[in-house]
Amino acid sequence: MTPSQRAGIGSFLRAVGRVFAVFFRQGRKARRTRFFFLFSFLPVAVSLVIKFNQVFSDSPGREAGYLFTNLIMLFYLQMIILILALFYGTSVCSEEVEGKTLPYLVTRPVPKPAVVLGKYLAYTVVTIGMVTLGLIFSFIVLNVNRLLDPSVYGLLGRYLGVLVLGLIAYGAFFTFLGSFLRRSIFFGLLFSFGWENVVQYFPGSTQRLAIAHYLKSFLPAGPPGRFSFLTFRLEPTRTGVALLMLLVITAAFLALACLFFSKKEYNVED
Amino acid sequence: MTAVIETAKLSKWYGNVLGLSDVSLEIEPGITGLLGPNGAGKSTFLKLITGQIKPSIGSVRIFGQKVQNNQALFSRIGFCPEHDSFYEDMTGWVFLTSLLKLQGFSPPEIQSRAEKALDIVELAADKDRLVRAYSRGMRQRLKFAQAIAHDPEIIILDEPLSGLDPLGKRKLIRLIKAYREEGKTVIVSSHVLPEIEALTRTIILIHQGKVFAKGDIHYIRDLIETHPHMVAVRCSDPRGLAVQLLGESYVLKVHFGADGKSFLVETNNRDRFFAVLLSLIVKSRMEVEEITSPDDNLQAVFDYLVGK
Repeated sequence: MTPSQRAGIGSFLRAVGRVFAVFFRQGRKARRTRFFFLFSFLPVAVSLVIKFNQVFSDSPGREAGYLFTNLIMLFYLQMIILILALFYGTSVCSEEVEGKTLPYLVTRPVPKPAVVLGKYLAYTVVTIGMVTLGLIFSFIVLNVNRLLDPSVYGLLGRYLGVLVLGLIAYGAFFTFLGSFLRRSIFFGLLFSFGWENVVQYFPGSTQRLAIAHYLKSFLPAGPPGRFSFLTFRLEPTRTGVALLMLLVITAAFLALACLFFSKKEYNVED
Repeated sequence: MTAVIETAKLSKWYGNVLGLSDVSLEIEPGITGLLGPNGAGKSTFLKLITGQIKPSIGSVRIFGQKVQNNQALFSRIGFCPEHDSFYEDMTGWVFLTSLLKLQGFSPPEIQSRAEKALDIVELAADKDRLVRAYSRGMRQRLKFAQAIAHDPEIIILDEPLSGLDPLGKRKLIRLIKAYREEGKTVIVSSHVLPEIEALTRTIILIHQGKVFAKGDIHYIRDLIETHPHMVAVRCSDPRGLAVQLLGESYVLKVHFGADGKSFLVETNNRDRFFAVLLSLIVKSRMEVEEITSPDDNLQAVFDYLVGK
């Protein structure tokens, strides 16, 4: 790599950092973040209800690990991370167009791909923060009797890793969607609760066309139970390959989003 | 003087719709007014010279450099967009410092530049209020502040005076004029002739995507003088007043209103007509309810000039 290329990359990364700093702050302070923060705490409320029910009823109920895997994790994996990634991912580009604030960004000495990457990173970190807090609280509530057992923390770390990967991959996809579609939320909902929720259960290699397939490849197969069909994997992908696929999906959609944002002429007129 | 902004055969189509056609211009330091009715192509021109959109044909050069994908050039340009749009969840201070951060300044520099810009636009006292709580005039001044905060050599202002009250307009006009004294290049677009007149004598007339004329403001003033002008008068004795005006050679037509209290005059010498009209009213001590010019706007002048 020549010194000028190195300098170019360094300058680009600094621009990404500047955009990240601005939008990480904005993302944290935004009104919608307060709403989504409460939304991501829904599983904590569910965990509390379950725990209270266990404490005050005579029946011992299901084991905490089982509940955490089959109820709370699915709540996060099949709904919360999709919703968060959808609303924050699509907004990376579309909020600038719809809010007509795009001219403030594109008339600065910041390359357009740096705007996309900086905002994507900022919003991904914000959503990871929300999900992490909710997941940890849910975990503590359900495992309050086993908090001194170090083995349970390995499970928590694994689940947290899956959710973070999910936010990263879905966020990249929805950033791409928001960069070229006007009604990106609508199409994002169709993708999230149509495509993703159906294709992952298809037999054979078709299920590999869903991001959820690769995320679930990291999860241990739970014991059979009422919700076990939700985690049932016909042909799980090896974790190394699943991780690679998620990274490829993320990189590809982010590259496409940067390309669209750089080339497309957005109409910010009334 | 050397041209700072040069465009050559600049054209832009939005699908089949013409945005701008064959515009070749050289803009020098000082204030240049971009004047034209709504939809004339002013904003398209400004977006093209700020690299927000790509030309279909032609080229733009600023300081001799191409604009498209030349991010470094944006350190030398300040742009104030037409839309009343902001990151509403930010305070004025955060809005300004965030945009300065994107310019790449260090934190102490951001602080001092933001303070200076807010002082200039007289928003320092309101800097910690949310932008969404700002009045229209304050928002307009904040937009101006973000365009000047990084001390650019070129300041491009798209309809900066729209929506401001007369006092606000006067303040902003004074601010813009101060930048001319510093030798900067300022481009101001407007569809209101008196606004441009108050700012500069150098104008570019733009209409239906084409540059209609470029030069001194007196040129457009002369055009307006010769443009047949309609004046409506509502008074206690319209026929009596009209009779006294009919003898004047610059009165071309008179129509009486059905209500019997008004008349409409067409004249080709507006200033002379108003002088005589006012003296007649004073002399006859007539009660006048209203004097209006239904076509006293740029669109009417342009329609006349292009032969509509």
